[in-house]
Amino acid sequence: MDVCLQGGTMALVGLVVTLAGFALSALSVGLTSSTGGRLGMVLVGLVMCLFGIIGLINPAYQKNAVWKK
Amino acid sequence: MKRVLLAASIVWCLMLVALAGVVYAQTPAPAAAPAAAPAAAPVAITDAAIKGLSGPSMADRAKGDPGGTTTGTVNDIPVGDMKKGLTIDDVVGAVGQNIVATNFVWTLVTGFLVMFMQAGFAIVETGLSRAKNANHTMMMNFMVYGVGMLAYWIIGFAIQMGGVSPNSNLGGLAPLNGEFVIHLFGKDWGLFGQHGMFLTGATYDVGVSVMFLFQMVFMDTALTIVTGTAAERWRYSAFVISSFFMGAFTYPLYGNWAWGGGWLQNLGANYGLGHGYADFAGSGVVHAVGGMTALAMAIIIGPRIGKFKRDGKPNAIPGHDIVIVLTGCFILAFGWFGFNPGSTLGAATNGNLRISTIAVNTMLAGMAGSFGAMYYMWLRYGKPDASMTGNGLLAGLVAITAPSGFVNPVGSVIIGVIAGVLCALSVEFIERNMKLDDVVGAISVHGTNGLWGVISVGLFADGKSNYGGSWSGVPGSVTGLFYGDAGQLVAQLIGVATLLGFVFSFSFALNAIIELVWGHRVSPKTELEGLDVPEMGALGYPEFVLKPEAAVEV
Repeated sequence: MDVCLQGGTMALVGLVVTLAGFALSALSVGLTSSTGGRLGMVLVGLVMCLFGIIGLINPAYQKNAVWKK
Repeated sequence: MKRVLLAASIVWCLMLVALAGVVYAQTPAPAAAPAAAPAAAPVAITDAAIKGLSGPSMADRAKGDPGGTTTGTVNDIPVGDMKKGLTIDDVVGAVGQNIVATNFVWTLVTGFLVMFMQAGFAIVETGLSRAKNANHTMMMNFMVYGVGMLAYWIIGFAIQMGGVSPNSNLGGLAPLNGEFVIHLFGKDWGLFGQHGMFLTGATYDVGVSVMFLFQMVFMDTALTIVTGTAAERWRYSAFVISSFFMGAFTYPLYGNWAWGGGWLQNLGANYGLGHGYADFAGSGVVHAVGGMTALAMAIIIGPRIGKFKRDGKPNAIPGHDIVIVLTGCFILAFGWFGFNPGSTLGAATNGNLRISTIAVNTMLAGMAGSFGAMYYMWLRYGKPDASMTGNGLLAGLVAITAPSGFVNPVGSVIIGVIAGVLCALSVEFIERNMKLDDVVGAISVHGTNGLWGVISVGLFADGKSNYGGSWSGVPGSVTGLFYGDAGQLVAQLIGVATLLGFVFSFSFALNAIIELVWGHRVSPKTELEGLDVPEMGALGYPEFVLKPEAAVEV
């Protein structure tokens, strides 16, 4: 039960990080007019998205993977 | 020794591709044409002049027309007012209707080809599943067509295309003029369309019907990607619910942003990022949306029993029929000639003759993808794996879907080769590092390579396509980084971030709620027995003797 709760929180944090990565990338067009600046923000946003999915959401679900039982 | 030979042959192939690129780049420009003689002054055409025109007589027509020279003449132009006879209005009206009719027929027929891809997906996924789940896997692929279509007819089409007007190829599509926008940073950000639910009212229209059919079969392609990943353990009822919501909301939302007049499409016009997010036929809209949803489902539903050992190492669970898998890949490659060339939404005027180049780019990238995957597997594992080679073909096709309208044949081959290798690498990463079970490799084929296809537009678009002189309201043609426009690459990367950040999250949240309320996964007993009888009530192959599950190492 405790593992489930920890996993649930971790997945929720992962979801927030992933969405924040998207928001940063999308809003970069309004935050600066330089192409280089936008590119930098979009790349940071992409890393956040990947970290949220691969580094947080997936490991949260792997805690209770069927093959570990 | 074999590996040395293989490596040498790959180097030769790469050298040939590079040589072709050099030859292409160095092809001299054609000599300037001699100065033309001054053109004669235009002569005004009057109704009186047209009245004098006459076609072959009925007596001549009655003799037959084996050469096709007397069929289709002035006699075939409908006359609006018999008292006035043939007028300029009649002729111009016939020309306009001919252009739109050509575009209607082209778009409808290519849409029919895309519809047939459902059969390809069905047998690829069923062939890669075990025989004990054949009925269930086939039924998911069969009914995803109906479930998705129902959701799209009710609301999905309106969300995606309800504000797409105008479209000059299909007669304007004036009834689809209801985009919901918000104002952000001084510009309009289109979020979703509002016209077209149930195709009633003003959207009961011939042009809108063409658009609906074509977009509907694209949406269904995205939906059927998920069934491949979650096969062999997905409750049929949960599949119906999940697919309905994907067809109603997930796919249409991103489709609106990219194709329906939404904010991604207008990044060029509003913020000077190239020509805005450019996804010609849907590497992102169709394949990456399907791939991201498949990724979310794979995480939520978990791997099949026996897929991973207790130490986390993966077991291979081979499909039951590689023959139908590769046959399905061929059907899909055939259908792709509808997918990509059909995405011009027309064959006449507006730069639409580009359809021939798009078709060639499509077939070249598919070929290159199958080579990339085959050589990778051959080098790494000593055998040219059949299912991965088939997936390589599909990966090349997925990757070329977005750039097919904007790149040249050399660019297509490079994109395809990279896609094939990327597919194999991605399958390994998802299975070994992420510990996810993707029965058919759909996350890699459609997700990873859908994203690669979107990025490749920002790199390889050569600025020569020139659809109607502009794309998404920006003059000139889509041009990637390698041809001088870094802003286009940024627009494409924002699309990738939207797919990873928004589409994945939306799909994940939606399916997590379904998991909580209904449950996605069948019981372990049902999974071990096979889903055919418990879920569908009948075996796919009732006369086969199925092997017991004991063969799986744990």
